[in-house]
Amino acid sequence: MPAEVKQEQSPSNATSLAMMQEPQEVVEETVTIEEDPGTPTSHVSVVTSDDGTTRRTETKDMSTNVKVTKMVKTVTTRTVRQVPLGPDGLPLPEGSSPLSSYTDSIDRRYMKNGGERFITPQATSTLTRAYNNSYNDSYVETPESQYIRHYGLHEGYADLTDNYGSLSRGVNFRPPRYPYMPNSYRPENSYTLPIRKDDYGHVAQPQVPMGSSTVDLNRSQPERFQPEPYGLEDDRRSLGPEEEEPYELEPDYSTASRRTLPGTNRGRTHREPLRDVHRVRGYPDDPIEAELIDERHPYIHGMYSAPLAQPERGSMASLDRMAGRRSPSIDSIRKDPRWRDPDLPEVIAMLGHPIDPVKSNAAAYLQHLCYENDKIKKDVRQLKGIPVLVSLLDHPKSEVHRKACGALRNISYGKDNENKVAIKNCDGIPALIRLLRKTNDMEVRELITGTLWNLSSYEPLKMVIINHGLQTMTNEVIIPHSGWEHEPNEDSKPRDAEWTTVFKNTSGCLRNVSSDGAEARRRLRECDGLVDALLHALQSAVGKKDMDNKSVENCVCIMRNLSYHVHKEVPGAERFQDPSALQAPGSAGPQRKKKDDAGCFGGKKAKEEWFNQGRKNGENDKNYDTLDLPKRTEPSKGFELLYQPEVVRLYLSLLTESQNYNTLEAAAGALQNLSAGQWTWSNYIRATVRKEKGLPILVELLRSDSDKVVRAVAIALRNLSIDRRNKDLIGSYAMRDLVSNLPSGQQRPAKNLEEDTVVAILNTIHEIVTDSSENARSLIQAQAIEKLVAINRTSQSARETKAASHVLQTVWSYKELRNALTKDGWNKSHFQPTVTATPKATKNGKPGYDDTTLPLMEKNQDGYSTIDQRDKDCKYKTDDGSADLTEREPLKNDTNRKHYIRSNRPAVSLVDACDVKPQPVDSWV
Amino acid sequence: MSFVPGQPVTAVVQRIEIQKLREGENLILGFSIGGGIDQDPGQNPFSEDKSDKGIYVTRITPGGPAEVAGLRIGDKIMQVNGWDMTMVTHDQARKKLTKKREDVVRLLITRKSLEEAVKHSKGSHPRQ
Repeated sequence: MPAEVKQEQSPSNATSLAMMQEPQEVVEETVTIEEDPGTPTSHVSVVTSDDGTTRRTETKDMSTNVKVTKMVKTVTTRTVRQVPLGPDGLPLPEGSSPLSSYTDSIDRRYMKNGGERFITPQATSTLTRAYNNSYNDSYVETPESQYIRHYGLHEGYADLTDNYGSLSRGVNFRPPRYPYMPNSYRPENSYTLPIRKDDYGHVAQPQVPMGSSTVDLNRSQPERFQPEPYGLEDDRRSLGPEEEEPYELEPDYSTASRRTLPGTNRGRTHREPLRDVHRVRGYPDDPIEAELIDERHPYIHGMYSAPLAQPERGSMASLDRMAGRRSPSIDSIRKDPRWRDPDLPEVIAMLGHPIDPVKSNAAAYLQHLCYENDKIKKDVRQLKGIPVLVSLLDHPKSEVHRKACGALRNISYGKDNENKVAIKNCDGIPALIRLLRKTNDMEVRELITGTLWNLSSYEPLKMVIINHGLQTMTNEVIIPHSGWEHEPNEDSKPRDAEWTTVFKNTSGCLRNVSSDGAEARRRLRECDGLVDALLHALQSAVGKKDMDNKSVENCVCIMRNLSYHVHKEVPGAERFQDPSALQAPGSAGPQRKKKDDAGCFGGKKAKEEWFNQGRKNGENDKNYDTLDLPKRTEPSKGFELLYQPEVVRLYLSLLTESQNYNTLEAAAGALQNLSAGQWTWSNYIRATVRKEKGLPILVELLRSDSDKVVRAVAIALRNLSIDRRNKDLIGSYAMRDLVSNLPSGQQRPAKNLEEDTVVAILNTIHEIVTDSSENARSLIQAQAIEKLVAINRTSQSARETKAASHVLQTVWSYKELRNALTKDGWNKSHFQPTVTATPKATKNGKPGYDDTTLPLMEKNQDGYSTIDQRDKDCKYKTDDGSADLTEREPLKNDTNRKHYIRSNRPAVSLVDACDVKPQPVDSWV
Repeated sequence: MSFVPGQPVTAVVQRIEIQKLREGENLILGFSIGGGIDQDPGQNPFSEDKSDKGIYVTRITPGGPAEVAGLRIGDKIMQVNGWDMTMVTHDQARKKLTKKREDVVRLLITRKSLEEAVKHSKGSHPRQ
């Protein structure tokens, strides 16, 4: 009968399309900037169909973690002119007054030294405005000026609140801190200083005409960065327990940078813009002045926060927030019409500005503009901004390459693959990899790897990434963060893996590229140290019982993908083939590798034969328990580790402990892949799963709420039952759980599993009852016949109908059972294929196919490639929703299939939200 | 409650204060939420505007703290203790609601009947 195919999960499809990620972009509107990779990014998982014969499901999580940074604060580009503003409406922000006095004195001091030189008070951003104000003070020391100052600030903020969802968030975010503002005055904070000094040389260049675009740029940028002044440290210090709230926000809104900041150069970079402004204004290169400036910074912090502190805006603010999306134009509209933001071509032109800070500010501004704005991303591409940004990656100044990288990360995120291609076309991938090798700055590394993760979600770029970056990513990130050491030092304890953002991003990138077919798998398997490091990381995760995070998920998915078709693709695999399997025409030798992915139908046939052969060899399974594992003279390493029976325990631990559905699915998929195939190692794996008491663990997971977990487990059980003893055990102990997953007629059970899952379960049942009347008896005792008949008669799905029909026919073929069946009221007609079944079934199959001998899975592969299917594939239920949401996108390895999809469906639909998004999550609180 | 991006939104909101119920180690609010910017808004049965990615109350435990406080199925949560809930991921919202240290949660919610009630009362604009 048909279906006996083992399916392996193939990695291939798994790619996730990056496109879907949009959801991911986390909106962090809060002030800051980058999206956190940490936040649930969007993951797209893709299900691909596999190569020829197998069907694999892959979950890819594509999450590209995109970190998009959003610089929220941008808004303020407004300058305060010497203000005609009346004191009228100016309610001073509560916090500001004390600050102002501070500022005054300082500024004043400042003025004494350099005040006279202060030429252009007008153009400044809000941030700057603060500065300016101080200037003004000294300039005109009148009460009005103070007013004005405040007003300016206040106003700017108000704008923010009104327009920006994100901003307002920012507002909320800060209030708690505000009371502490004065505390924040810390000389250390003036990180800006050094930079400024560096740049001083440039200061002299007054090239920036007032009102010119550059000025504008500067003006607006500082805003964005404002958040930084609130460096985490400051807050922490001063905040009482209650005030911690803002911190807690972090996970949600925080930007990556914020998180990272505490470590390294916190915030310094971000502040740069401020400095720039001043510089531009033409501060003299005067050490004394520099010092003064330095001192002022702390106050500036205060200034900033003061306006923010408007807790009262509370409820309405949130409403306003809904308004939502920042659009740069609005920012400027609200502002003084005399000043405008630079337009996109101007910003791009500024990327080539001779002054480095201008470059970095322009890049940062681009990053902000691109955040969640596909239109602008596209415009940047069309205006040829991408090559310029890429060229800035090699810039020696960290500020510049950091910002450029941030902009590229945002640009690379999203469904528009053209942006990714544009980055690749100007050699952006090697440039990113170069920078990764060069920099030790964690933030930059996060940005680089986040960008690569984004890029890796687009199929055609996967191989490029492998070619340029595989070994570098492995050596620079994976190995060091995994804790694995090439030459373990006897004395030292083995190190644990560190789940850093960089590791998460890099493993996500590798996860994506690992799905790019046989060649990609070969490259990854043969990449020095990669498999060893991943295994070490996973073992450390198991040891620490920390198995639910994204990094673990990524690692398991890579392992799963690399385990796919090991029995055909690994060098020397033929030595381990069962002789009978080797003779199967078309069965897979390594030479067949490439074709596997390409020809789904050719592969299937081979697979089926191979499967049948496996069945014939089933008798041998009896020996497995006594089989010795192959003797090894030296510890295995590299790809050999993938299929050593030792990994079984690792996967079983993950299956036992992890709460992450994607991880569960991947671990079950890895066992599925390893237990497929008819080579020595899969025999060992099948026996080892049993000996390690893995069968009950798998059976238990049949009760999982997650559709894809159930599916992966069901298919794994099917492959495991090639082993005769496994088959007996599974028949005895798993039948009820398998059956309970089946729908009864048109009524779906509570779980409401997808068609694919139901079909997978039916095929597993079929496998188990084949050649085992005992198991068929168990099936009958599990009350399955009623369900099977109902599916056979009434299911809307041709695939389900057909799969159920095969099971029924097999059951009926056991003459010794017919008596019992008849007693239960069944007769032969119930076990016949329904009239409609055949036509229904052939719908999916290729013409000319012999339905009865084809593995069901295979025939239905087309189903996997369809979008609808995909849609169905995303069903997740998780307590914690976002983190586990995976979106799957079917990718096919098969190029033809891809074309098929592309040509037949509007590209848009691929990324349509409905397709991509997981089913709604519902959380009790 | 549709809104145009970039434009301020007004909504009639109601303040609801829920005293969490302590059950063993857990603090329970007694309702469940759906939605969030990372979720598919099209599947939200409660929103009028199917592009609304806000957080909605999807289920309420009978007799639980939320019901006692007057929360209803289909309410859109605008704020939790002052934190915006209109542009957050599902999980962010969940975390804000389930803080262990907080025994009381103050929600700002909006619902259709509120809007209508306001309309009928002649354009006075009640704020919270």
